[in-house]
Amino acid sequence: MKGLRFLIVAVVAMNTSIAAQWLKYPTAGIPRTPDGKPDLSAPTPRANGRPVLAGLWRPAPGLVGDMTRGLKAGETVPFQPWAETLFKERRANNSRDDPTAKCIVGGVPRSDFVGYPFKILERAEMVVILYEAVHSYRQIFTDGRTLPKDPNPNWFGYSVGRWEGDVLVVESSGFNDNVWLDNAGRPATEMLKVTERFVRKNFGQMDIEVTIDDPKAYTKPWSVTQQLAFQPDTELLEYMCNENNKYFEIIPKLPVSEGGSQRQ
Amino acid sequence: MKRPMTHIRLALVIGCLASAAPVMAQWLKQPTAGVPRTPDGKPNLSAPAPRMADGKPDLSGLWQPAAILIGDLAANLPKGSVPFQPWAEKLYNERRANESRDDPTANCIVGGVPRSDAVPYPFKVLHEKDLVVILYEAVHSYRQIFADGRTLPEDMNPSWFGYSVGRWDKDTFIVETAGFNDRGWLDNFGKPATDKLRVTEKFVRKDFGHMDILITIDDPGAYTKPWDVTLPLILRPDTELLEYICNENNKYFDIIPKAGTK
Repeated sequence: MKGLRFLIVAVVAMNTSIAAQWLKYPTAGIPRTPDGKPDLSAPTPRANGRPVLAGLWRPAPGLVGDMTRGLKAGETVPFQPWAETLFKERRANNSRDDPTAKCIVGGVPRSDFVGYPFKILERAEMVVILYEAVHSYRQIFTDGRTLPKDPNPNWFGYSVGRWEGDVLVVESSGFNDNVWLDNAGRPATEMLKVTERFVRKNFGQMDIEVTIDDPKAYTKPWSVTQQLAFQPDTELLEYMCNENNKYFEIIPKLPVSEGGSQRQ
Repeated sequence: MKRPMTHIRLALVIGCLASAAPVMAQWLKQPTAGVPRTPDGKPNLSAPAPRMADGKPDLSGLWQPAAILIGDLAANLPKGSVPFQPWAEKLYNERRANESRDDPTANCIVGGVPRSDAVPYPFKVLHEKDLVVILYEAVHSYRQIFADGRTLPEDMNPSWFGYSVGRWDKDTFIVETAGFNDRGWLDNFGKPATDKLRVTEKFVRKDFGHMDILITIDDPGAYTKPWDVTLPLILRPDTELLEYICNENNKYFDIIPKAGTK
């Protein structure tokens, strides 16, 4: 996995110099310092009495790979025994059953914990997230509807959002039981319910407080905080996972360890 | 079998949709807000087109491409009128003969432009102030059209969707797209394109329920002159995009070798 990530970083780095001319387009409407640089410490922009969440955001690298680095000190993941066993298997076998290796979307909350930016669009009736990862998207309905009782199980689930003061609270359910919560492979089931609280702290920073509630895989709900950084003057790239995907050529060559490999 | 691909695709699609429909009805049939309705509550698709704050037609909505151009983008043109260059016609005939076995979308790659406009799946247009985004159900993909006054960059990273900029000419939204790689197919039947491809799409919202996309293909690498088609779209009220995950149990390569070649 680690080798693969380096490969991805290298490819992206190579593309940057070629892509610079069209990729470095100034983002309109952002606060700038007198020398023209984006002022990421400016206050949170507001519209209709609420923080604006729209923009291109990049997840902080800290939780990419392992979301539990966002746990508070002393906290542990309250695995059910079967879920812990499965998690350790996935760590030991280099994530060879990872759905995203087959170019399937990461889903929720995993798409919040990836090494690729995403663009948030806010409309009157919904919030849309365009993920660079696997060139996918997600709709969050904010028109007052509630979660459906019997949705079609899928990877992104069904998401509804509401405002609590300055915080957008998004609840998602309706997942299939194949979802991984993060790149490390923490399991989830159809009982999964995810709550994401979007808290924009200033122009350049936003937190997503993620709560996992899946009584079939975990003995109690648990939470982590993901930090996002605003990405000015750049754009989403076209991430075409199925184009020359080398995952299954690389994975069999990696060593398999007993009882779980190191955290990444 | 002249159009085997169509039969396989449609059979698969219809089969999946039909089996899933009763299960998903409860959550999928959410009334679309802001749709004009007749006194009996039915969507009034012949009501006037909605407008943005700046007076331009609002292109937003869930749209379904008319079935007629799915497969063959040139279905409405007189037979033999696609101005192929010889190599492009030869490649096209090969693709028709071999069941489209080299189709990039078989490998779950996006259709690109204009192919993603002419597929049997709906797409949602989000009309923002300086940006139009299209969320395609097909392959769960999306596309951005920058409408903030920028022009097409001179040296783009070649991609499947290309780079799109839009501008208004009265009530018509004109989108120009370039920066394609040389592997895109223009339609499901496999009309070739090169990295010289430039696509112009004119979006004309005729009323609440109907929109046309006038598509011009300009690719001097594959065609002897530009050619045009018109793709009608119909608004789909009171329903939603489904999550189309192509890589989940993709059977294309199980089926295609069995279909035989002609």
